[in-house]
Amino acid sequence: MSIRANVVIQDPIGLHARPAGQIVKLVKESGLEVLIGPEGGEMVKANSPLRMMAMKAKTGETLSVEIETDDQALAESIISQIQDFLKG
Amino acid sequence: MGHSAGAVLSGLGVGLSPIAGEVYKVAPHTSLPARAKHAGDAQKEKASLRSAISSVAQHLEHLMTKVDQTSVEIFEALKMLLEDEDLFETATAEIESGWNAGSAFEIAVETFAELLAGDAAFEERIADLRDLAKRVHAEIFGIKLGLDIPETGKYILVGDDFSPADTAQFTPAVIGVVTIKGGPTSHTAIICRSRSIPAVVSCAGAKDLQSGERVLVDPVGDRVVVGGDVSLATQSIEFVAKSADPIIPVRANIGSLEDAIAAATTSANGVGLFRTELLYLSSTTAPSLEAQAQSYAEILSASPEGPLVVRTIDAGSDKPVPFLDMPHEENPALGVRGFRLIQEHRSFIEDQLKSLEIAREKTGREVWVMAPMISTSAEAIEFAELARKLGRFKVGVMVETPSVAAVLSDLAGKLDFISVGTNDLSQYLFAADRMNAALGTLLNPWQPALIRTLANIAAESDAAGLSSGVCGESASDPAFAVVLAGLGFKSVSSSRSQVGAVRSALSSVTLEQARAIAQAVLKQPTAEDAKATALSELASL
Repeated sequence: MSIRANVVIQDPIGLHARPAGQIVKLVKESGLEVLIGPEGGEMVKANSPLRMMAMKAKTGETLSVEIETDDQALAESIISQIQDFLKG
Repeated sequence: MGHSAGAVLSGLGVGLSPIAGEVYKVAPHTSLPARAKHAGDAQKEKASLRSAISSVAQHLEHLMTKVDQTSVEIFEALKMLLEDEDLFETATAEIESGWNAGSAFEIAVETFAELLAGDAAFEERIADLRDLAKRVHAEIFGIKLGLDIPETGKYILVGDDFSPADTAQFTPAVIGVVTIKGGPTSHTAIICRSRSIPAVVSCAGAKDLQSGERVLVDPVGDRVVVGGDVSLATQSIEFVAKSADPIIPVRANIGSLEDAIAAATTSANGVGLFRTELLYLSSTTAPSLEAQAQSYAEILSASPEGPLVVRTIDAGSDKPVPFLDMPHEENPALGVRGFRLIQEHRSFIEDQLKSLEIAREKTGREVWVMAPMISTSAEAIEFAELARKLGRFKVGVMVETPSVAAVLSDLAGKLDFISVGTNDLSQYLFAADRMNAALGTLLNPWQPALIRTLANIAAESDAAGLSSGVCGESASDPAFAVVLAGLGFKSVSSSRSQVGAVRSALSSVTLEQARAIAQAVLKQPTAEDAKATALSELASL
């Protein structure tokens, strides 16, 4: 099943190289398929920092995160870490 | 073809100490092959791309072991971009469509560069990506990019010219530098002067030097001697101080708090040029008035005793401040830079002056403010009125353009001082781009046209009741500083490492002697004659 939640970009520069890199590292370590994208918009795989940067997501924007897993606790932990990375 | 022992290669010297050693020749950057199709084996191209990416990644990891924590994070981010899976997949698709590995990776990078374009936050990342693409392309073709300087031993580095990225990699093994191109205001010259590395720049004959040859770098003699040792070096003039004080004050150039602290350990009388742009080039948002005032107060209180001459922001599209909008210009040296930014960014310049006034009051220091890149008397007067309205400063302007040099008499009673930036004045007077390594000889401060222009500026300033100083690189040359004093300038400001040498030169002569030397120099028809005259006159004192 897939678990979906929203995160908000608080970093003053938006979704730039550093948080994108942190997200990719986390996603790769988890071995899960994670998608990210604007609420209701097109989702991209969160294993490519460039693809995420190309969304040009700005401060204050809400992003959806979708994780393909049955492990609710793991998914929640990944989502809360992604939210942390976006705090700047 | 090599040189025979004893061959003398002339150039322009930087520094006063000679050094002899073994040549380490840096090959000129080989250009990358143009984009091309592959011979048909897409699998082989993919494998070669993968292995080139992994070599470049390993190189980044190797660099991480040698740098501080901040730089480690930068290299980690670069590695992450380099190994991006989407980027690799995009490149693979280009290989499938026929491009060879190097071309395919460059095309893939351009695809992402276009997606990221138009966002100020990503401009540097795009530049990083393109640089990585070049490295991968070079790796595939076995081409060496950048410098590979030995970390141990003692070498005289010989090359075309060195960029800021190159000089940042100078190791302690670099004991001397010779460049084939590049002039006395080139980046290489400025770095060598500040790090006290003896150098000879603009030395065309050095192109035939080979690694392993021994040479003497003789900056005082403006030459390199093949096979020479230090005993052959031109003796620098021993300036014997005859008085405790130099004939005109010697101030220091600074750009940061670290510089101010270091300058305070020299015998500098105050600061003759505080370059404020360094405080802003790394911020992504405009610092608040309070934050600016705080930085200025720290720097003012750390600076050497004496007046402190602060230059308002000197930025342009080649040296952009991230939070000011500076569109790309075809010719940034002739574009919207320095005080010209007031058209679009008046409040920024006002905030600079306001925060300087807060810092001045807080520290009790004597602050002089000046604006760069002034071309008309109207601009000079506009700045003076603004600065007087916002603070209790002495006010002045930089003289860097021939146009403002021609109207100094109109500034009588309007300004307190002027300060000549000889690097830019040379660039605009000779129509010779400072960044063009092939034009070094035109930018030699001993050029008669520059010295005669300086003579006029000093005389006009005197007549208009303006105190005149020089803060360009030329004022860091002790012999040139004597000429400046002789021409009538009232102060000089030097690189921190040269303050002591300039001060002793100016303490070894009387004002009358300096005037006589300047008069003799003014009559010379070439830069070489002008310098030789000054040195022989000084030696005969």
